[in-house]
Amino acid sequence: MLKHWTKRKLIDGVFQGFTYFFSSISFLTLGLIMVFLINQGWSLLNFDLITYNYESNTYLASIERFDDPCDCSPTIALEEGVIYSEKWGIGVSEGLDLLGQPSIVIDYIHTDSPFKTLTNKSSVGPETFPLLKEYLISKISYNDRAASFARRGAARLIDELDSSNSIYEIEVTTKGGGIRGSIITTLWLIGLTLSFALPVGIGAALYLNEYAKNNQFTKVLRSFIEVLTGVPSIIYGLLGLAIFVPFTVALTANSSHPATGGNIISGALTLAVILLPVIIRTTEESLKVVPNDYRYASLALGASKTQTTFNIVIPGALPGILASTLLAIGRIVGESAALIFAIGSLVRDEITLTDKSTSLAVHIYSLMTDEPANIALSSTIALIILAIVFVLNLTIKLISYRFMKGRLGAQI
Amino acid sequence: MDTSFLVKDLNLYYGKNHALKNIDLAIYSKSVTALIGPSGCGKSTFLRTLNRMNDLIPDVTITGSVKFGDLDVYQKKTDVIDVRKRVGMVFQKPNPFPMSIYDNIAYGPRCQKNYSKKDLDTLVVKALKDAALYDEVKDRLNKSALELSGGQQQRLCIARALAMEPEVLLMDEPTSALDPIATAKIEELIVELKKQYTIVIVTHSMQQAARISDQTAFFLLGDLIEVGETKSFFSTPKDSRSESYITGRFG
Repeated sequence: MLKHWTKRKLIDGVFQGFTYFFSSISFLTLGLIMVFLINQGWSLLNFDLITYNYESNTYLASIERFDDPCDCSPTIALEEGVIYSEKWGIGVSEGLDLLGQPSIVIDYIHTDSPFKTLTNKSSVGPETFPLLKEYLISKISYNDRAASFARRGAARLIDELDSSNSIYEIEVTTKGGGIRGSIITTLWLIGLTLSFALPVGIGAALYLNEYAKNNQFTKVLRSFIEVLTGVPSIIYGLLGLAIFVPFTVALTANSSHPATGGNIISGALTLAVILLPVIIRTTEESLKVVPNDYRYASLALGASKTQTTFNIVIPGALPGILASTLLAIGRIVGESAALIFAIGSLVRDEITLTDKSTSLAVHIYSLMTDEPANIALSSTIALIILAIVFVLNLTIKLISYRFMKGRLGAQI
Repeated sequence: MDTSFLVKDLNLYYGKNHALKNIDLAIYSKSVTALIGPSGCGKSTFLRTLNRMNDLIPDVTITGSVKFGDLDVYQKKTDVIDVRKRVGMVFQKPNPFPMSIYDNIAYGPRCQKNYSKKDLDTLVVKALKDAALYDEVKDRLNKSALELSGGQQQRLCIARALAMEPEVLLMDEPTSALDPIATAKIEELIVELKKQYTIVIVTHSMQQAARISDQTAFFLLGDLIEVGETKSFFSTPKDSRSESYITGRFG
């Protein structure tokens, strides 16, 4: 008797050990990915990365208060190596530009400094723009003395700046390497794709679950949809390239921004096709969960089939539909293979719906295909993608919770 | 007494399964008709033919006629929504919608036309009062209906059906999921409601049928074995099978 008991306990223990072992492996793997990303990318993560353009621009600019020095001392403690001009309220240090050439980096600008706002003299770019930290100075010329050049060093530049009373113009290079454009593209893709795919997918699921008879045709249709969920996304990318790119090109031919190749709309359409089977499947599952009792009760009250579907079934399935939306957003943000075909992998700053640009995932792809691959920045972008997905996740959970609380009361 | 439903020669098939065989039955208005019989005898199926809820089951064939007043329920041009508006139904398991108590009651009327807020309020209060639920829920009409107890939920479902101002109330074992106290309340309510409504109730409890019904119909394997006034049915059943059933010898 005792022997039997210990044997059973042993077997139970072994099986339990297996579950603990495998679950800890999965948690460890996920944890390691996070550790890797944070380790690699945390140092580059800052707000400027999100707001800056990818390409850097060089501007020749004049200053409105060109002969009005501020004589202001810095309000914060300056870092070591920063040389500050009290007369003009600007602190610089020696650094490297994007090409790795020695140049002068702006570290600090006093709020009263005449350099705070610059007037653009070149024909491209904005009329006035703020001088920001980490912009590069290549040249300053004066009205009352010879010009200063960055290659002569920061100390000399500040010396010469201090000796002048009237500034003619300044040549600055904006900091590039930001991912603002890719973030905007990603958000556009999420919005457009969902607005294409959700109505169609939910409609199809409603048809399959509420209206279609359970016959051979719907069985074939269902297994067909199931097969489509497993098709590699690069094949959908080919479809996008073959159908949606020419389609959008033809469609926008007469508009003010005609598309010439892959564009955001063709990308969103391709993503919508990728998502359709996923949305149909998950929505259908959530429609199945709505108890038939509700349908019968509604019909017995003299409601029509359509009223029942829209007043009872869809609200009942809404948490599931929102969950499928979440899955869809995850797919959109994470998709890269299909988008390389359907939009292209050219990183852009000016985002037009009918032009090429990249989502964040493809931005990583283009960073990693550069020579040398930029693993640190890629990891930073990966962290930002995670943050976006996390925030959207929370938002939808919150909506779902608020909605369910109204319907289920204290039961939630 | 007036006849509410007149069922003639009704046959119903689920696919090839002959579920109801040549049923002839008259249901009188403003009285309670109880349908009894063992499980699978077709009493619930019969109940659902009265408001055409069997339409929802695929592969059902129905022959014969069901007359509801002047309306032929199974005629082609009969609007099924019209039938269900006039014939309300309460189910075995309390099934309030996951909405507020108010919205549950207002659901049926809202599906028919746009009521003003005031009319709808009156309608909801009246339905709740008729279902003897108003005093218990008057302070929390905007709370979720799922917070109510099982018995309250079932009375809410009755109120929801009453809000449509039907002529007939069909009840499919309305107390089988409830405790004895909630059951007693529903039974009281049924006796009260029969002053205004025709009630057809399916029940597994013969005591319940004896307590509240005026007429009892006994079904067995799709046949209507016997129908008669409740008192005489239970005291002197004419058919030997009815007698065996009510004395508990089978079923």
